[in-house]
Amino acid sequence: MSFRETLESGKFTVTAEVGPPKGTAIADMIHHMELLKGKIDAVNVTDNQSAVMRICSLSVCKIAMEQGLEPILQMTCRDRNRIGLQSDLLGASVLGIKNVLCMTGDHVSAGDHKDARPVYDLESVQLLKTVDSLNNGRDLGGNEMKGATAFFQGAVVTPEANPLEPQLMKFEKKIRSGARFFQTQAIYDIEKFRGFMEFARKFPVKILAGLVVLKSAGMANFLNNYVPGIKVPREFIDELKEAGKENALDTGLSITARHIKQLKDEGVCDGVHIMAIGMEDKVPVILERAGLL
Amino acid sequence: MIITQKRELSRLLENVENYRSFFLIGCSECATLCGTGGEEQVKELTGVLRGKGKEVTGGIVARTGCQVLGTKKELKEHKEALDKTECILVMSCGAGTQSAVEIFEDKAVYPTNDSLFLGNMTRFQMFDERCSLCGECILDRTGGICPVTNCPKGILNGPCGGMQDGKCEVSPDINCAWVRIYERMKKIDRLDEMRETVLDAKSWSKGQKPAALSTREKKEKK
Ligand code: SF4
Ligand code: SF4
Repeated sequence: MSFRETLESGKFTVTAEVGPPKGTAIADMIHHMELLKGKIDAVNVTDNQSAVMRICSLSVCKIAMEQGLEPILQMTCRDRNRIGLQSDLLGASVLGIKNVLCMTGDHVSAGDHKDARPVYDLESVQLLKTVDSLNNGRDLGGNEMKGATAFFQGAVVTPEANPLEPQLMKFEKKIRSGARFFQTQAIYDIEKFRGFMEFARKFPVKILAGLVVLKSAGMANFLNNYVPGIKVPREFIDELKEAGKENALDTGLSITARHIKQLKDEGVCDGVHIMAIGMEDKVPVILERAGLL
Repeated sequence: MIITQKRELSRLLENVENYRSFFLIGCSECATLCGTGGEEQVKELTGVLRGKGKEVTGGIVARTGCQVLGTKKELKEHKEALDKTECILVMSCGAGTQSAVEIFEDKAVYPTNDSLFLGNMTRFQMFDERCSLCGECILDRTGGICPVTNCPKGILNGPCGGMQDGKCEVSPDINCAWVRIYERMKKIDRLDEMRETVLDAKSWSKGQKPAALSTREKKEKK
């Protein structure tokens, strides 16, 4: 079953993330893909994540397909104008890429080319509308195309944003602009997430909870202090501390596995999106502990 | 107004090292308020140049340096001094500098300032940017706060995931434009409108460079 069919069938869906490397050495990345093959429903390929220049998402999506994985093309509006974005979407379509995740993208000031000119000709909501238009055979200029795309398009949402209301308004706008599924920013507080899901359930979209694997108490503190929209509750930081340096990572994997199991068993959302950030090889362990393998 | 900042003196001196005589043109409008091209700064630069052994033949603070004809007229009475001058230094914005280039076809013209943005003066000599002259104003849809300018990503439909406690992902010194718009729409009871409005991609062709505008015909008919 494809990612879309799996989600629409109501089966608990699992996606994970692969970050393309900087440079042309791709052996490690391919090894990670091999480890994920057959264990997840789709793999997100990030688009110059954190505004750090790397191999483009499109090429790595193609490689993922060759490795037997179904890719979700992440697309940000930071580096391409509307012509570039649409042209790449058409390119993705003819390569057989079916899913696209539309984002505005981290600002260049976060990355390793701080003097670059940020583009943002479009932003996430408008990119969703663009995909919708291409799916209907017209480009953003209103021109008819020979052959439409057939993307399954998604977007992101931050359930822990503060203030939350403008973020929820944007969530609604994304749905009205064509988003069919959402992968959330990392969540840790399942009870709070239930509150968000209560709101989200009013809309005909599928929600995959974002999970970032904690490697240590230090990393948890870092997320709390520096990464917008992520709140790691005290109890997990304590749990990681108690585990001690050597076992912290293992504990982090267990926390993620526990969350997956709970979200699935209690039917909180439609699936999970695992962001292992540099530890893609650990994803199978997490899935095993969550009882999904 | 146009916000300007003085260039490093060393850079200016390097620019003009081959010239001996100078005439300085300040501006009584923006550059005076910015402290980059008023009476005081013209006097100061005159002193500096003379201290470096250069000749300063004269200087004025133009009433409106970007007004080409007016500035040309004001310069008429300085003809004698100007005839003896090799190089014009313009102490206003890039527009003022290019007025001088038009007026002095065969003289070297250099800017003493960098032109930064169209700014509001919030306190004495404190400025911030609120409008970037995009060519098609959307303030009517955003509660009067401009996301094109105040959001570093120019997002038109709500805060990005980088917003943290009302602050912008780019810098904690920036209040997230979309949280500001949200707060304002709440105060003026337009939150429903904010929820409903999806703004389409902007037409950047409206802001194509170089822009030009003439309203002459209309006025002459009156
Ligand atoms: S929308 Fe355009 S014209 Fe209006 S304030 Fe913003 S930049 Fe200026
Ligand atoms: S945090 Fe707010 S102001 Fe900053 S880039 Fe995101 S939406 Fe724009």
